Amino acid sequence: MMRIQIAIVCVTLALAVGNLKAADTSPQVTLNVTKAAPRTVELLTQRALLRDYKFAWANLAQALESNSMESLNGLFAGTANTWLKGKVSTQRLSGLSSRYSNQSHKVDAVFYAPEGDVIELHDTAEYDYQVLDGSKSIHSEHAVVHYVVLMTPGADRWVVRQLQAVQHF
Amino acid sequence: MSSSINTACRSPKVSLCWIGAVLLSLAAVSMAQDIELRVPSGAVAGQPASISTTGGGSATFYLEGPSIALKRDVQLGQDIQLSAREIEGAGRYVATICASNCSSSVFFVAAGKPSTLTFLVHPSRAPVGQPDMISGVAFPFDEFENLIFTPETVQFQISSKESKLASHSVETQNGVAWFRTSSGKSAGAVQVAASLNDVQARRVVQQVASDPCRLQIKAQRTPKGVEVQTDPVRDCAGNPVPDGTIVTFTAKNGDQISTVDAPIKQDVARARITAKGTIVISAASGVVMGNEIRVGGQ
Repeated sequence: MMRIQIAIVCVTLALAVGNLKAADTSPQVTLNVTKAAPRTVELLTQRALLRDYKFAWANLAQALESNSMESLNGLFAGTANTWLKGKVSTQRLSGLSSRYSNQSHKVDAVFYAPEGDVIELHDTAEYDYQVLDGSKSIHSEHAVVHYVVLMTPGADRWVVRQLQAVQHF
Repeated sequence: MSSSINTACRSPKVSLCWIGAVLLSLAAVSMAQDIELRVPSGAVAGQPASISTTGGGSATFYLEGPSIALKRDVQLGQDIQLSAREIEGAGRYVATICASNCSSSVFFVAAGKPSTLTFLVHPSRAPVGQPDMISGVAFPFDEFENLIFTPETVQFQISSKESKLASHSVETQNGVAWFRTSSGKSAGAVQVAASLNDVQARRVVQQVASDPCRLQIKAQRTPKGVEVQTDPVRDCAGNPVPDGTIVTFTAKNGDQISTVDAPIKQDVARARITAKGTIVISAASGVVMGNEIRVGGQ
């Protein structure tokens, strides 16, 4: 009897840890700037880009899971912001939500404008993607997606202006 | 269903009954798994597309794209029509269909034809005769603001009122084309244009005179002091230096040194120096020194 109880506790703990891991929405991001041209990316810029791109994905995941734009913190602008708003509002309208978990992003800076006012990133993103209709999972996959990203500097942060998935770079 | 099978299988021919039930279940599972989605392979943003399905009966169709999420009831075996509006955003789409179970398929929508050019040009004011002074970056987008990733040739052209100054033809790489060029020799507005097929974007750069090339001063003693002024101040290409550029006049009288800053107004900077006795006056603007003149005492 005691053994059964211990087994139940172990299984419960294992499931809880599993759930915690699955709910992890903090993205892992690595940024390589060696290919950036014609301007080289300064170290401080590199740090700011890494920080803001990571936040952007964390906020995007939160917005699409909760169907709320409040979590975006101004990290999206222009087309990227319009698209995200469109997706959140149509998800809400259809009773859908989507979940991005266990995110890992390998990002290469491929173009940095001569005056430093725009940077193009190529992100090979890996994540577990799940689409839910209410609480029912209708699609789940481990996705590897290539994103072309345009970011521009704002007053105190870099903002995502374009976030477009492509079949390949 | 399982209770009815249990009841039915209490008959003497138990094994046959169970085999039948298993076969029926397998058939049902196989029917449920048979739903197949045939997604478009070359979909273009803003152009209608269709997804074909197999099987029969009603089902729920879901589409998750970059800017859209939708859910609608469909009939299996019929094509699902996607309107132009539903696939305006280029990117990755997940189409899912659910009947007794769900199956999904992924497809990509590519950007359409170039419709706009985002064109960034720097600086807005450029000194003349400077190497690599003017730069421009162009991103082609389609009418739905999708970045066009396939190579396109962008024509950059720099022209003044009188003539075409420079032209560069650049193929986009990773969806961007850029150029860098020297500024011209004459002050004035120049137009910088980027064009791709019949799409064009224009910006204006004001070319201004560079630093003064040489300073020549003259002075005259008057009852109120020494009136000193420059000749018209120009850069090395002969362009008049903009009004407001500061010229510093320095007067030395033995150990005493006094300075006066005067802005250029209509090409000339003027100042009055109130020193007595013989003085030596010089002028400077930026890194350029002018001549020295000696003015005797009254």
